[in-house]
Amino acid sequence: MIFRAVEDADLIRQAGRGSVEAYNLLISRWEKRVYNYLLRITANREDALDLTQDVFLKAYQNLRKLDDPGRFAPWLYRIAHNEAYSMFRKRRPEADVDEIEPEATDGGITVGGSSVFPIELSLAVASALGRLSPDQREAVVLKIYQGFKFDEMAEILACPVSTIKSRLYTALELLKVELAPIKARGVS
Amino acid sequence: MSCSPFDLRDYFLRELTDPQRHQVEAHVKTCQPCREELDRLGVTRAALYSLRDEEIPQRIAFVSDKIFEPSPWRRWATGFWGSAARLGFASAAMLSAAIVVYALRPPAPVQVVTRAPAQIVQPVSDSDIQARVDAAVARAVADVDVRHAETNKQLVADLEMARKRLLLAAAELDLSERRGLRDKVANANYGPPHEVGQ
Repeated sequence: MIFRAVEDADLIRQAGRGSVEAYNLLISRWEKRVYNYLLRITANREDALDLTQDVFLKAYQNLRKLDDPGRFAPWLYRIAHNEAYSMFRKRRPEADVDEIEPEATDGGITVGGSSVFPIELSLAVASALGRLSPDQREAVVLKIYQGFKFDEMAEILACPVSTIKSRLYTALELLKVELAPIKARGVS
Repeated sequence: MSCSPFDLRDYFLRELTDPQRHQVEAHVKTCQPCREELDRLGVTRAALYSLRDEEIPQRIAFVSDKIFEPSPWRRWATGFWGSAARLGFASAAMLSAAIVVYALRPPAPVQVVTRAPAQIVQPVSDSDIQARVDAAVARAVADVDVRHAETNKQLVADLEMARKRLLLAAAELDLSERRGLRDKVANANYGPPHEVGQ
């Protein structure tokens, strides 16, 4: 159990009244999650960092429009989603956003160093995620890595829960086919 | 196709209520295919978790920027005029000061009118003299009251004018700040606007 002396809602209210210090504390609680969400849908560290900064600036400018501080997380991720797709559109305006694939990076977004998982498994996971469509990948990131509920995902992605479930279930089937055997060999 | 009473994927993704979860768990204990399906989903999730979160390479923080903060003048004006008690106290203090100043001011010089002595002197009774004195005193008191009322009215009008000027100045200052903020945001080049927080 994590105890926080000051809840996010209090920080949001203080930040809404102009307290930069409160907003900086709020950022420190969310920047890593937002950065990793953007990193997994853009697959580019520089883009993810730039977008993260843009997201928090835009959130600060629009904080007073947030009616319910309890919905801060989906509201913030909605901004992040919009910023990411706005960047995709600027770079490939002629392409359908659904067809835009993240840029490949050297070594992908795998985790090296002291990982307890075999590097082959991380590469396999990155590869499997890379084969999903952008919509499916984002659904997996929001659900598996970010832990959002279906209704929150629907709010972030601005689409019905049924669509969210369809994307996620399809993605899980594809990932299961590719990763379950690999996982069984790699970790057992 | 799963034979579970509820979708195994919803159970796996923790989207079921507690009673629904209990039903699925009871079913899985007796159903080998569903148990194997859940195992595979679990293995898939464990594999996905091998991609762990990265540390953000550069911490994000904002500094206190004047463009995002109301000016000290604006904060003072808002705080002062926004409080009815303070406004009332200030008005009462100004009126009190005005009354004290007026009371301490030396009286206006009395105009002495000399008249030629009457050719015919008529006897005047004490009651007539008293009535004339009373009338003169009443006129003098009425004149003083009128002057007091006019002075107070002028002071209140001056106070109201000063308050309106302060509010107008604060509004103009706020408008110029908003224009500055709009220009800065426009220059930041965020691209086409789109809906936020939907």
